[in-house]
Amino acid sequence: MSERPLVLAVDDEERVVQAFDIWLGDEFEVLTATGGAEALEQISDEVDVVLLDRHMPEMSGDEVLERIRAEGYDCRVAMVTAVAPEFEIVEMPFDHYISKPVDESELREVVGRLAEMGAYDQRLNELYRVTQKIATLEAEMTDSRLEHHEEYSSLVERRDRLRAETHDLVGEMERSELDDVFEMIGSEQ
Amino acid sequence: MQMARKRTGKMASSEEMGGSAAELESLVRDTDFFRSLVENGSDAIVSIDENSTILYANQAVERVFGYEPEELVGEKLTVIMPERFQADHFESVQRYLETGERQLDWNNIRLPALHKDGHEVTLSITFEEHSYEGKRIFSGIMRDISERVEQQRELERQNERLEQFASLVSHDLRDPLQAAKATTAVAKAGDEEALEELDEIHDRMERLIEDVLSLAKQGQAVGETEPVDLREVSERAWSTADTDGATLTFGESLPTVSADPERLEALFGNLFRNAVEHGRSSAADDPATLTVEIGPLADGEGFYVADDGTGFGDTDADQLFEYGYTTNEDGTGFGLSIVAEIAEAHGWEISATESASGGARFEVRT
Repeated sequence: MSERPLVLAVDDEERVVQAFDIWLGDEFEVLTATGGAEALEQISDEVDVVLLDRHMPEMSGDEVLERIRAEGYDCRVAMVTAVAPEFEIVEMPFDHYISKPVDESELREVVGRLAEMGAYDQRLNELYRVTQKIATLEAEMTDSRLEHHEEYSSLVERRDRLRAETHDLVGEMERSELDDVFEMIGSEQ
Repeated sequence: MQMARKRTGKMASSEEMGGSAAELESLVRDTDFFRSLVENGSDAIVSIDENSTILYANQAVERVFGYEPEELVGEKLTVIMPERFQADHFESVQRYLETGERQLDWNNIRLPALHKDGHEVTLSITFEEHSYEGKRIFSGIMRDISERVEQQRELERQNERLEQFASLVSHDLRDPLQAAKATTAVAKAGDEEALEELDEIHDRMERLIEDVLSLAKQGQAVGETEPVDLREVSERAWSTADTDGATLTFGESLPTVSADPERLEALFGNLFRNAVEHGRSSAADDPATLTVEIGPLADGEGFYVADDGTGFGDTDADQLFEYGYTTNEDGTGFGLSIVAEIAEAHGWEISATESASGGARFEVRT
């Protein structure tokens, strides 16, 4: 990647997007928006990673996410939010769930990783998404709640299937590099 | 005496031995002993025949079911059974008599029963079967565990609330915490103004903590209640709430309610703050335009608090009382949850509707 990756940071709290810009500015190109409508104006094929607050007045982050996907953008999206993840996140088309408060080092790590994921195979991206959602739900919910949920168990099945499918693919790549990525998803929560 | 003979090996053998006067006397004594044990035990014992006709009931049935033993003897067992179980009972007794198949576990099962005055009690029941004079007799040994069940329910409710609080506190503090971290980063980067905003963010977090604490306190069961004059307590609440020159008025014939006066004051205080903060549109910022009225409900069973402000708009009435729900950026979203907790702790019902002038109206049914 010769050019610096382009990040779009969306949060209704202006100080938050300002801080994201400060934290990421040396390594990434950062666009900011303080509302859903503004975010949709800024989104383009050039954007690599979107950081998206969920709880915003007028247009929620969930809706912004839906519209971004409906318009055909397949950039990486990380939800950055204080909203507790419920089972509805299973069907949401994002790549990473960051619970607020996030600090500089965590944000740089996640954004850096997501920017790299863009170059990987689609199934690997899917595996990343699913693995991260499982980690998010496991961090938030009691085992008994997870056990009784079909969404959760189908998520685990999907992960296992994707693992098997991508096994050969991973063999061709630098395995250690990928291991790092998945280790991080599981451990940071 | 016969009953005792059938049931205990010890007495059967003493009779076989021929029975000296002393032995007979001891037998009578033993029989009395066991009869007294069954009669006066704290567990209710009821015996029925194959047709579910009650043959025997001990003294304890009076405490558990409200019937004297002699009121029950001769009746069908279904008199102490909630209606929804009656058909099923006859069916399963019939099946058991024909096939020996038990529909229920016979040991320590939990079943609701019907008290003479119509309320249900939860029983732990153990069933026994024996034969007596060639007939099959079924006995239930029953203990009232309503209190234990109620305690268990209360415990479950408390656990649920605790879980809610934990999730609430952790998640509601996340947003201001993020704002504080971000604002600090911006200040460090050289923006002096950002530094001053930190105070406001910290105040927001403090308010949140205070409200959560208050919520936890107000939700506890109400102890002693006393007749409370609504006018007096609401005027007190009005004077301490930040009502900004808005007006409080009273309807005709306010009822006196039985309440914990301090908590009732907190209920009014939170309703008033809600009215002042949400009742005015931000365009018309003149506080004097808002009037809050307290009056009796049409049927006299409670009171209302209504304002002539902007009302709830698109807000879903069900969400209003939820923990942490707010439409105000600086709000904590706990005010109306606290109101709901206080009402619930008194055993009252609270609902929100639109007032005659299109404002907010809260009804408290006492």
